[in-house]
Amino acid sequence: MAKKDTYLRTWLHDTWEIGIHEFRSIFKDGGVMLIFFVAGLVYPLLYNVIYQNGILEDTPIAVVDNAACSESRRYIREMDATREVRVAYRCMDMAEAERLMQERKINGIVLFPGDFGEKLAHMETATLSVYCDMSSFLYYKNALMAVNHVMLHEIGQIQIERYAAAGFTDIEAAQLVQAVPYEENNPYNNAFSYSFFLLSAILFVIIQQTLFYGMSLLAGTMREQNRSFASLPDRMHGHGVGRIVLGRGGAYWLLYMGIGMYIAYIVPAIFGLPQRGDFFDILLLLLFFVTDCVFFSMTWSTLITKRETVFVLFLFMSPICLFLTGTSWPTVAFPGFWKVFSWLFPTTFGCQAFINMSAAGGDLATAHDQMIALTLQTVIYFVLSMAAVSLENWVLRNKERIREEGARRIEARFGVDLTEANERDLRIIRGE
Amino acid sequence: MGVWQNIWAVVRRELRIWRRRPVYLLGSIGTIAFCAIFFLTFFRDGLPHDLPIGIVDNDNSSMSRNFVQQLDATQLGKVVKYSNFEEAREDMMSGKITSICVIPEGMYADVSANRRPTFTYYLNGLYFVGGALAYKDILTMINLTNGAVQRQVLRAKGVNEREIMGRIRPIDIDTHQIGNVYTNYGYYLTNILLPGMLELIVIIVLIYSLGTELKYGTSKHLVQTAGGSMLDAVLGKLLIYTLLFSGIGLVLIILLYHWMGFPIAGSIWNMFLAIVLMVLASESIAIFILGCLPVPRLALSIGALYSVLGFTLSGFTLPIEALPPYVQGLAVAFPLRHYYLFYVQEVIFGAGFAGWWQEVIHLLVFLFLPLAVLPRLKGAFINQNFPKN
Repeated sequence: MAKKDTYLRTWLHDTWEIGIHEFRSIFKDGGVMLIFFVAGLVYPLLYNVIYQNGILEDTPIAVVDNAACSESRRYIREMDATREVRVAYRCMDMAEAERLMQERKINGIVLFPGDFGEKLAHMETATLSVYCDMSSFLYYKNALMAVNHVMLHEIGQIQIERYAAAGFTDIEAAQLVQAVPYEENNPYNNAFSYSFFLLSAILFVIIQQTLFYGMSLLAGTMREQNRSFASLPDRMHGHGVGRIVLGRGGAYWLLYMGIGMYIAYIVPAIFGLPQRGDFFDILLLLLFFVTDCVFFSMTWSTLITKRETVFVLFLFMSPICLFLTGTSWPTVAFPGFWKVFSWLFPTTFGCQAFINMSAAGGDLATAHDQMIALTLQTVIYFVLSMAAVSLENWVLRNKERIREEGARRIEARFGVDLTEANERDLRIIRGE
Repeated sequence: MGVWQNIWAVVRRELRIWRRRPVYLLGSIGTIAFCAIFFLTFFRDGLPHDLPIGIVDNDNSSMSRNFVQQLDATQLGKVVKYSNFEEAREDMMSGKITSICVIPEGMYADVSANRRPTFTYYLNGLYFVGGALAYKDILTMINLTNGAVQRQVLRAKGVNEREIMGRIRPIDIDTHQIGNVYTNYGYYLTNILLPGMLELIVIIVLIYSLGTELKYGTSKHLVQTAGGSMLDAVLGKLLIYTLLFSGIGLVLIILLYHWMGFPIAGSIWNMFLAIVLMVLASESIAIFILGCLPVPRLALSIGALYSVLGFTLSGFTLPIEALPPYVQGLAVAFPLRHYYLFYVQEVIFGAGFAGWWQEVIHLLVFLFLPLAVLPRLKGAFINQNFPKN
């Protein structure tokens, strides 16, 4: 056929070929397959199994009851009945309770002083003491919540008894004791479950990190073998950076839309995580997020020159990314510098948007800011990855010339013969 | 050549490699320095403050305005006002505010007329720390408000101030936080996160260091340098890396408990012991993983998966007893878990040797792991009969 292809046809053809070639490289590389399919598919399941319960119940505590009055006994009974703690030991003195705590048999101590009942009888404030094990904040939270809830209940109880004794009717007493009754709602995470908030964030961190590690692994391998992805086919005469970026990116994008849908729809369904979002809203989020992650990974993988160095240099970023999502430590409390630093990562916005839509059941409007941020990020990372590929490509094409020029300059300055020096260096490196 | 000469030769060879390829020092000292700076500055405040709390004030009376002002004045909270619930709900869903308080219409009039209006609040428990702290703050304020109403009534009846206190608040709680008096999140998390990062770095860098020998075919040269003894080759590598990682570990402990002044009930010297043992145990894990799978890229991927899991299974955030029973046993396979238990005894309770001797034994048990795979690793190093990539 003698007809000359149009620019568009050539462009599409090239992009297609590059994409297919990238697909082949991915599936031929065992390490990348391990990261994408074992880590990408199994890690979400693993974390879900680990955090399945997500709620710490019945934390064992010890009670030292020096008062031994009816009020303290009722208090102890009510604490034992709470979801948060159970009274595992009743100790004679603090020394015994402290020993139990140090042996890790209990995670909290409640001490009723000897004058507890007496003070109540005299209508004074009776104080009880709580000692919390701070080795995990969940122990602290449980002990404190149980003791406080029982306290509020007991206060009401004692006051109503007293007003009744003073001749008030039930209704009058209730009006006095609690003039403004309150109603508590925790609609998205009823029991303050650890798994709901953490898993939703972890799922999206897994998408970003596995994509980044896998892509860097492959980019590093190619650079090692001197066939960098940035090198353009000769027939393109140095044009076609866009084809490289979109062609390669397209391969990862397709793969990760699949993995992303598995992580965002199927994993939560298997483990009963809340899925209150609209199917198409979350699909739109995935489209934005995965595209962003692809260009993010492409940009940063430029730094990786050897296959395995990505783990040595960047593995530690995974836990840090999780903190930067703002789901545990609130974003308003971030120091200014780290707030700006968090804007480097797609997860910062992706996790929040996913939580707002999937776990809280919001519509796209609730993720409005995050979607805009993701779009901006995508554009910036796209430009950066284009720039990185052009730069690397230029360096590759002019490598010989740059090296020779540098060598000539040094030779001229120091008057040494570098070919000989290189030999010597190599011998030292070999350890001879 | 004697054992010491062999080891010394391997050490000198390793130092040359470090000088030639900065990735080893960058990957260990560089990354841990970044992590230390990150965690120590990120949780600088210890406890978050000025958490945004949404208010929908349908009452607009002196009483409701007073409530809003007082809530705003607490250290934890900062009030954001909304004219209707719908807007506030959107903002809570999008994570802009931690919670919403709805003050019912005519609250002041109802309180005055003893009609008991209901105050409602909503929390977003998906942003965990923010939600939990805002909850605490709102609960305190609403109980104070109730107390204030009661106080007014009692004053009107002529009860004196001391008795009023006893009547409004018959029971009070005096809380003692053992090991972290200020409820400082920074202390709590950094204490384990930084050693956890060190564990991760030890495993990855050591697998990488031994793995590259296989990959570039220099493993034979390594064994030759060690006079043909695999044990000496590994010992030489271990010696120099143990010095590096233990050095980092000791600096971390000094950084935490001396320079930053994190509370420690026991002795800093015992923590030196703990971190060195954890480094040794992690090194054993690294050799074990590479010995089982002498393919650098697979070993590294497995090492990465393993060490990231270590944070979860150390049990310092969600305690191990809250995990499913069949996962709980897995925790013992992570050096960080034993370091954490050691830390609880020494730093929190100051229990000393009696508290943590078992953890020392557990960590020492890890040291037997490399022995099991050494012959296999030797075969791989000399014959280089495994895929290199």
